[in-house]
Amino acid sequence: MLGPLSFSLAPYVRSSKMLSKWLTPFASWYNETAGYKKYGFKYDDLLIEEREDVQRALGRLTPREQNDRAFRIKRASHTSVLHRPLPKEEWTSTEEDVRYLAPHVEEVVKEDKERAYWDHLAVTRK
Amino acid sequence: MLAARRVPRIARSFATVPDSAGYKVAAVDANQPTSSVTFLVKAGSRFETKPGVAHALKNFSFKSSAFRSALGTIRQSELYGGVLSASLGREHLALTAEFLRGDEEFFVQLLAEYIQSAKFTRHEFQEYVTPVVEAESTEASSDPAVYAIELAHALAFRNGLGSSLFATPHSSLTVEDVSAFAKNAFTRENIAVLGTGIDQGTLSELVQRFSGAAKSTGAASSTSASTYFGGETRLQSHGGPETVFIGFGTTGAPSPDLAAFSAFLSPTPSIKWSQSLSPIASAIPAGTSVQSVYLPYSDASLFGLLIQGSSGASVKEAGKAAVQALKAAAKGLSKEDAAKAAAKAKFAAASAIEGRDSLVNILGSKVLAGSDASVNTVLQPFASVTAASLSKAASSLVSSKPTFVAVGDIASLPYADELGL
Repeated sequence: MLGPLSFSLAPYVRSSKMLSKWLTPFASWYNETAGYKKYGFKYDDLLIEEREDVQRALGRLTPREQNDRAFRIKRASHTSVLHRPLPKEEWTSTEEDVRYLAPHVEEVVKEDKERAYWDHLAVTRK
Repeated sequence: MLAARRVPRIARSFATVPDSAGYKVAAVDANQPTSSVTFLVKAGSRFETKPGVAHALKNFSFKSSAFRSALGTIRQSELYGGVLSASLGREHLALTAEFLRGDEEFFVQLLAEYIQSAKFTRHEFQEYVTPVVEAESTEASSDPAVYAIELAHALAFRNGLGSSLFATPHSSLTVEDVSAFAKNAFTRENIAVLGTGIDQGTLSELVQRFSGAAKSTGAASSTSASTYFGGETRLQSHGGPETVFIGFGTTGAPSPDLAAFSAFLSPTPSIKWSQSLSPIASAIPAGTSVQSVYLPYSDASLFGLLIQGSSGASVKEAGKAAVQALKAAAKGLSKEDAAKAAAKAKFAAASAIEGRDSLVNILGSKVLAGSDASVNTVLQPFASVTAASLSKAASSLVSSKPTFVAVGDIASLPYADELGL
């Protein structure tokens, strides 16, 4: 899965000062080259949403966040039809590109894991 | 043989109310096989900052806290065989755990941690709390008896005690409102911990151990003193019995005289399928019911008669008889009647403190107020009820402006003056 639940080396990289120093320029270059910012997207708009847990996480966004997300997706589809990226001042800046959905997805996954734990718990008497 | 038989030691100790980590703790142990612990919070509907916020807080009970999720709370207490419940009154919110003896450590910890670190997340409010609040409000508004008494409180006391126990079905509550209300309510000064079937010392020790992070504001929640207003309202409703509530209110601490007056008028017989000796019982038409309602609060009480029947005409007839009996009784009672009424009220009060829920409600408010909370303080006042004191209390009650509520087919239901009020 593309997104917060896939296998990632990021925590390891972040924990090492040297590695993050080396890799940050490369990461930012990759981030800019990926091109989603040109279409006004935030990174979390790209999460695969055809999943039950992500759908539940989407339901936990504030009405404002839901509205903004719908707007970004609509604007990006339109831009895509025109085969022309947005004017440069409308590109998503690095400050705007916050992970607004990932924490909710992580929380939902944690809840699902906990439910599975309680469902399959073997009780022993001490 | 005889010497080997051990008589269980019966420890009754709810007179002692020590402060344990700022909480007031009281316990009574009658050696029953199960225990219960209640955190009684001054967060009833009279303290609410926005209509319905207390109702929402009640339904938020046992949702996720910093220490365990809502699911974890449910599954873990199920494993112990315990029952968690929350009940809301106009004065208090009671969070109760009932469990087998020996599991008190887990359940006191669970309750204490919820009080100190409930998260009040927005998605739980939307996914779990709001649907239940709406369902409970809708159910309450479809029961004419509950609805009539809610309306009577609003008419009688307007603010404070007048605010409804139920949120309106389409309320504009947000999770921030609930969280802010809880933050003010869940403080050391506002909470009394009451145990039944548990030793006082054990409970105090557990409360002390688990309530380290409990917040303190320095002062308990308070509202302005209640004032009685009274008035009349009529609401169209269908599907339930035709309902009329005739009420009178007083302010000040509840008096045993009013409880006795209510017991005297109550047409509910002591033996099933018989007719009670109440003056109302013989006068009401068949198929109509009259119940006496006596609701004492810390600084006011509401007394009334709830009349229900299948048609407006029969309710009118029963209402006339009830008002006539009420006025006659308020003029003066015989000595025998007064003694009978006091005995009936005393029995009702004594049997109420046998039950777990009512024990918590009756003694809890005394514990929170810091006054003496023993069985005697509940039963002793009935000794002072005489014919003269009863008549005095009843006549001053009836001279106040009546609270009249009619719910049902308002075209046929009577007006207050038609009943002789």
